[in-house]
Amino acid sequence: MSGTEIVEDYSPNFEAWINDFSEWQTRIGFDPSWLGDYRFDIKFDWDTAGNKIEFGDFEGMPKWERRMQIPQQNIRDAIITMISVQGDTEFASVEQQNHLLDTAPTEYDKKSALRIMCEEQRHGWQMAYVLCTYFGEQGVREASKLLERNALEGTRILGSFNAPIDHWLDFFCFTHFIDRDGKYQLKMLSTSSFKPLAASMGPMLKEESFHLGTGANGLRRIVKQGVIPCELLQKYLNKWISTGLDLFGTDDSTSAQWAYVYGVKGRYDERESDIDADREHLNEASRELYFQELRDEMRRISSARKEGEPDLFIPSDKFNRGIGMYAGLKYTITGEEFEGSDDDYETYLISVLPTQEDENKLMNDYMKQDWIQYREWKGN
Amino acid sequence: MQHVSLLAFNKEKCKPFFDNLTNFFNDHHHSEKQNPDEYEKLLYMVKRPYDDNMLDMVDNWMNLSKRDWKGETTREVKLALYAIRYPDTLLIDSFTQKARSDIHRLSAYLHFTHHTYAIWDEDTRKGLVKLGINIPPTTVADPFIYGAYVSAIELLKDVAPFTCFLEHDIPRQRLFQAALAAYGRQE
Repeated sequence: MSGTEIVEDYSPNFEAWINDFSEWQTRIGFDPSWLGDYRFDIKFDWDTAGNKIEFGDFEGMPKWERRMQIPQQNIRDAIITMISVQGDTEFASVEQQNHLLDTAPTEYDKKSALRIMCEEQRHGWQMAYVLCTYFGEQGVREASKLLERNALEGTRILGSFNAPIDHWLDFFCFTHFIDRDGKYQLKMLSTSSFKPLAASMGPMLKEESFHLGTGANGLRRIVKQGVIPCELLQKYLNKWISTGLDLFGTDDSTSAQWAYVYGVKGRYDERESDIDADREHLNEASRELYFQELRDEMRRISSARKEGEPDLFIPSDKFNRGIGMYAGLKYTITGEEFEGSDDDYETYLISVLPTQEDENKLMNDYMKQDWIQYREWKGN
Repeated sequence: MQHVSLLAFNKEKCKPFFDNLTNFFNDHHHSEKQNPDEYEKLLYMVKRPYDDNMLDMVDNWMNLSKRDWKGETTREVKLALYAIRYPDTLLIDSFTQKARSDIHRLSAYLHFTHHTYAIWDEDTRKGLVKLGINIPPTTVADPFIYGAYVSAIELLKDVAPFTCFLEHDIPRQRLFQAALAAYGRQE
């Protein structure tokens, strides 16, 4: 059961950070007036966070509510890293997307994107608040860095969050595939042994569901409209899905294993699963659940296509990977090992990933038409 | 009455409902009777400027008989659909008797024009009663009863855990209303 607390009083550290945040907004060109009456509340769902550590070597002990209760410095460092990475993605996505507001296909899409950007900023605030409030000088330093790195300069921590989002098809792919990875990360942190982190996740996950819905529904509306051919859409799916899979990290990850041992980050289905975790393959297990979810979602999206259009599908998890056991290897989108030279493979990639020519056609031809099913903004 | 209902709200009583909310929603919304494909179409097709055909489409989806309204009554309702702002329901108080005569119909118009107001449904009301939120039965559009119904669903949205929130393109008021309807029917 959810009993959300909204924090009313901020520490001086966090108040100072808020000043930096205003400067960051100016720097990236996000006009605060776009927020309307939206407030960046700090929200904690303490009930859902639970009182006892749920897994790992400290299982059964009370969850840690303050820094000094965390038994080892390396665990504190691991928690700070988790929070920093999460916060980094929140601000990065706003940097990547905010230029799209000027070219929104409908008022509904513009308002949806704006809501997403507001909520991503709130999530960033939440992470900065936890850093500034619970982790002293070290936390304040890390919170500052959240506003110093920049997606457009390629200095954000994770690769996907430095990738350009040039148009609205990329935006819908990003919210469908990359924000879905975000949902997995948030859910894995929702059972954390550090209670303020676990309690932050419930309200963030509630908001995240809208972001994913915007992506899934946006892609479905594009497919339904039938202006952009499915063959071209498939190329964008091929591009984004491998990126999403990479976000789950390396195979046989020892840092994931340590995070589990510390109780800091659980499995995606930690509370639902009745089998013991395979601690050596935690990233693989989460990635597999994500991959299955993508396939289910794509069936729903593809079912809206016009007659004669080819089925849209999720490419193999071996294709175009940058991280994990298939990183740098040559595989086709259907998962067969590519037989041919490196040059042949480059030619193959051009046929299955968006090229500059595809980008031009997309933006200068298809997107000049009514390329997405119209939906009215209801003004609520 | 609205305040009494919400002050008496017992969060613990909602646990079985929240634990199975997505199943309840699927049972109701994705049933043949609810025709989910047509529902989705209406989310797109009902748009400004509202015309009689749009109201007819909503009536069809709701399995309601043809509106027995004078043109003036239809105009009055359409104007109100433009003017009303969620979660206000007091505007209904200014309606003529005919326009207020069917809460089921009126709430559906409000739902599809705003995507926020919840469709009035007897099973949903029973679902709320099972959660300890006592909304009295009615067939006419009473602004206070309907206001309490809308506020109660809004409250449930606020207190529900994140596991209740599906990622699909269904307004959250529909998600909760449909789940409540299935919950209300359950023995």
